[in-house]
Amino acid sequence: MASISLNNVQKSYASGNAVIRNANLQVGKNEFCVFLGPSGCGKSTLLRMIAGLESITDGELHIDGQLMNDVEPAKRKVAMVFQNYALYPHMSVYENMAFGLRQAKVDKAIIDKKVRSAAAALQLDTYLERRPAALSGGQRQRVAIGRAIVREPGVFLFDEPLSNLDAALRVQTRTEIARLHREFSEASAVYVTHDQVEAMALADRIVLLQAGTHMEQHGSVAQVGAPLDLYHHPKSRFVAGFIGSPKMNFFAGTVVGGDDRGVEISLESGERVRAGVDGSRARAGMKVTLGVRPEHLRVAVDPRNEQTLSSRVKLVEHMGEHSYIHATQTGPGAATLIAKVPGDSALTHDELVNLSLPPEACHVFDDHDMALRRLI
Amino acid sequence: MKKTFRFPRVGIPLLALIWLAVTTVPFIFMVASSFKSQEETFATSVWAPPGHLYLGNYAAVLKGPFFTYFRNSLFTVGVSVALIVIISAMAAYVFARMRFRLNKVLFGLVVAGMIVPLHATLVPIYLLTRNLGLYDTQFALLGPYVALSLPVSIFILTEFMRQIPRELEEAAQLDGCSPFRIFWRIFFPLSGPGLATVAIFNGIGLWNEFIFAYMLTSTSEHRTLPLAIWDFMGQYASNIPSMLSVLVLTSLPLIVAYAFGQERVIKGMMAGSLKG
Repeated sequence: MASISLNNVQKSYASGNAVIRNANLQVGKNEFCVFLGPSGCGKSTLLRMIAGLESITDGELHIDGQLMNDVEPAKRKVAMVFQNYALYPHMSVYENMAFGLRQAKVDKAIIDKKVRSAAAALQLDTYLERRPAALSGGQRQRVAIGRAIVREPGVFLFDEPLSNLDAALRVQTRTEIARLHREFSEASAVYVTHDQVEAMALADRIVLLQAGTHMEQHGSVAQVGAPLDLYHHPKSRFVAGFIGSPKMNFFAGTVVGGDDRGVEISLESGERVRAGVDGSRARAGMKVTLGVRPEHLRVAVDPRNEQTLSSRVKLVEHMGEHSYIHATQTGPGAATLIAKVPGDSALTHDELVNLSLPPEACHVFDDHDMALRRLI
Repeated sequence: MKKTFRFPRVGIPLLALIWLAVTTVPFIFMVASSFKSQEETFATSVWAPPGHLYLGNYAAVLKGPFFTYFRNSLFTVGVSVALIVIISAMAAYVFARMRFRLNKVLFGLVVAGMIVPLHATLVPIYLLTRNLGLYDTQFALLGPYVALSLPVSIFILTEFMRQIPRELEEAAQLDGCSPFRIFWRIFFPLSGPGLATVAIFNGIGLWNEFIFAYMLTSTSEHRTLPLAIWDFMGQYASNIPSMLSVLVLTSLPLIVAYAFGQERVIKGMMAGSLKG
């Protein structure tokens, strides 16, 4: 068991390019923390900095209260599972799993016991004498996990461990990782992925990282929180857009008026919408962005008594249980939007539809793309 | 439908046949003539097969210091190849994986070593060997053989080791390996095909090496196989069938090694050319 603490950690290369800026983060003991973000946001770099495989340009990294900036990787009590498994191809499964313990000069009998117990937990006991080349992708990944487990580290580091597996195996291995973390190990885990489904499914806490101008302005960490916290209360338009699939619909608008019980917004399409957010810092005339998740838009049952967006259907994607409607708002400055509707919905191309937009489902982002506090 | 002439389909087997003839005809000549007596060699056509199997040449060769030459060759080539493989693998690991300021410059210098003409080094190496007191000893050839083979061997192995995924090195680092252990436990075993290439390439070259052996050794006690021919060469006449039987016996170990390790040799030569 170990806790990790990052204080103002920075990483830049000799060329001066900053990859990580002002990363502040605490990962508690036993916690499963997922680093999520788009390509190039530095999530793998940050993980490798914790592992000791990348140097830290500035700031402090503590593991279990000890400063680790200049400590060798092997002495950080971490074990890492790599994206492409990184198994030693000339060693058997047993030797791969035992290698780290042998380096640490652990007694042979203890090594044997640990390797066999981890292999049993991962259903690898019949493959111990095989070389990695004779295993399937899923089995190789289990060996990589087993190799990490036998070392009984304080921190498990996973660098996109499922990205080389096919879709079905990915779900299975994901479940397995979650089970292993709960049952087999008491260590904390840091898991890097660009797949938000993986992040939502596994994480106790998600650290959403950002790149580019967002990073320049606000630092690398966009938001830290429980999966549902990020989903329901995104701090910024970037977080709102990144979490959720299909991504949140955004509409440009202007504040008409607001108080601490809600904000009234005039959209570019001409429609007026009331959003259930704290509007005490919203002044009339302020440019804002209204955000609504596709799953919170419904086909209006009683358009006269509901707040709606009038739209024209452009495409219907049938997914079985549900369908996605791609539509365009009617009126000037019309924005495109996606709505998730029941699978048996009979909407067709070019049909006019009123989409119900409950005030409590709305998100509002100010002229700096920061969210106004939601009331629910 | 008109059939089009495709070069690879016809040309490659044709070139292979021509190359087979170029290499096999002299070999057949060598083996056939080694079983002829000296008189028969001059009396019959050069290409005529031996009238009967005359083993006198082989008897004459084996009665001489042939086995001393053989032992010397085995020692010199064996030790040289072992040193070349270990030193070039270590250097290649450093050039392929370690980041330091002069990495590229040093690698460039090593590669530049490949273009130094061997003959330009003869006199300095001769003088150096004499001054070191190594002239005409069993260690005389080791230094020049290893030094002259290192540039190309380091070049081959550096390119090979650059292909080994960096994650393996990182996994070993996390497993607690020092840079030397990463080299010894991970890179060295994984470079097997590359090491085989280097060993085979240098082994063949050094087994047949003549000029340094001739210059740095003078007594039959320390001479290597390529010099055995000289025992059958007089000032006014040469015993050609005996010289050819020396050549047969000299090339025999390589032929036997190839017959048993053919697959490995080809794999070694092809190493790096195909994705594994």
